Amino acid sequence: MPTEKAEAIVLRTTDYSDTSRIVALFTDQFGRISALAKGGRRLKSSFENSLDLLADCQIVFISKSSGLDLLTSSQLIGRFRPQPNDLNCLYAGYYVAELLLGLTEEYDPHPNLFQVTRETLSEFSQAGLVARAVLRFELAMLREIGQLPDFEVCMNCGSLLEGAKPSGFLLAESGLLCASCSGPDWRGPVMHGGTLRVLQMLSQEEGEVWRNLVLIPQQFREGRQLTTLSISHILGKQPKSLKLLMLSVG
Amino acid sequence: MPKPVEPAHHPYGPKVGALVERLASLPGIGGKTAERLAQHLLDCPKTEALAFARAITDVRAAVHPCPECFNLTENDLCDICRDPRREKHLVCIVEQPRDLLSLEATGIFPGLYHVLGGRISPLNGVGPDDLNLDALVKRVRDRGIQEVVMATNPNLEGDGTALYITNLLAEQPVKITRLARGIATGSVLEFANREMLADALRGRQAF
Repeated sequence: MPTEKAEAIVLRTTDYSDTSRIVALFTDQFGRISALAKGGRRLKSSFENSLDLLADCQIVFISKSSGLDLLTSSQLIGRFRPQPNDLNCLYAGYYVAELLLGLTEEYDPHPNLFQVTRETLSEFSQAGLVARAVLRFELAMLREIGQLPDFEVCMNCGSLLEGAKPSGFLLAESGLLCASCSGPDWRGPVMHGGTLRVLQMLSQEEGEVWRNLVLIPQQFREGRQLTTLSISHILGKQPKSLKLLMLSVG
Repeated sequence: MPKPVEPAHHPYGPKVGALVERLASLPGIGGKTAERLAQHLLDCPKTEALAFARAITDVRAAVHPCPECFNLTENDLCDICRDPRREKHLVCIVEQPRDLLSLEATGIFPGLYHVLGGRISPLNGVGPDDLNLDALVKRVRDRGIQEVVMATNPNLEGDGTALYITNLLAEQPVKITRLARGIATGSVLEFANREMLADALRGRQAF
């Protein structure tokens, strides 16, 4: 039973017995883990009150071959502090936690997604644009789980998607169809060329281009339609916290 | 971990199996403890076991939420709401009746309470509609409440719930306060963590 160290973001805590807690954590090296924090509800424990939702912590845990891991200590790196008096930033944080819980597997590491999660939560804490940060996180999540559509090429004929004509989004295949392949009778969601370019830039793994990206309402609406439909399709239901979230640009 | 025995296939019969299953559904009770408790109920005098069963039946029949504050009571109104010495214009909001008991144990709060019945936690499927919020707004509006003290748990979801309520009461002429945060009495500054000290500095008060 090896002892491991990791940086982790708290995704969920559930009270267990009078003094303990079961914690779901998203770690940088191990992906999502579930661990028992014995004494985690006590004021004085080796967890220093760090096991709060979305808190960023340095943890030590014992990895178990079956059942829950055992969390032995946790130190707070930073608490998630949404913008004061802004419930939407708080709900956006809940949404991030819900997606990480629902769309990642235990012990499936996603170091890039961990970094994007940190940046996204930090964006919710500052005066950043929440709607853009949520969209970027959703795209990063879809990329990590292999469900991000190719924004440049038609999934059917392989031709480049033309900017002038809207492309059809085929949800079941998580891909885009050019105007010829989707045909004039296409009734599914459509994405305009500008939207595809914006989504392409937002979904880039590296760089800071996305921070200066200005989305017009149509691009944001179409982008959110793509991500929401994809995520709900994969989860088999609409995320619960999405109902509370009010996102818009412009 | 051994596979739990199906109630119908329990070695002592399905009735014992059903009892073990019920006991194991209680918080903090696992299969082995449930077996031990069931064994105790079979071993102890019959009158004791029946008294235990009757206590459960009685408590479920008699105890209900107070219609005013949602604390648990056996009467029409809970003891706190009926107490004429309580300040009627001061209301403290708590998540659970257990939190109310902890605050009451201090013996220094002179006002009334309002039990929410949880906190907003979308990840656990609890939304604003699941809490006793309509009754709170009505109470503040109709009973001339002058101060509401937020005593939700000092964590992200507790603070989020307090913020939601603050927005909900924004149009009411009521002062909204929250419990102080910071260093515990009897501790030493040297060993207080950064967050506690920051909270204490932010919430410093006139000496």
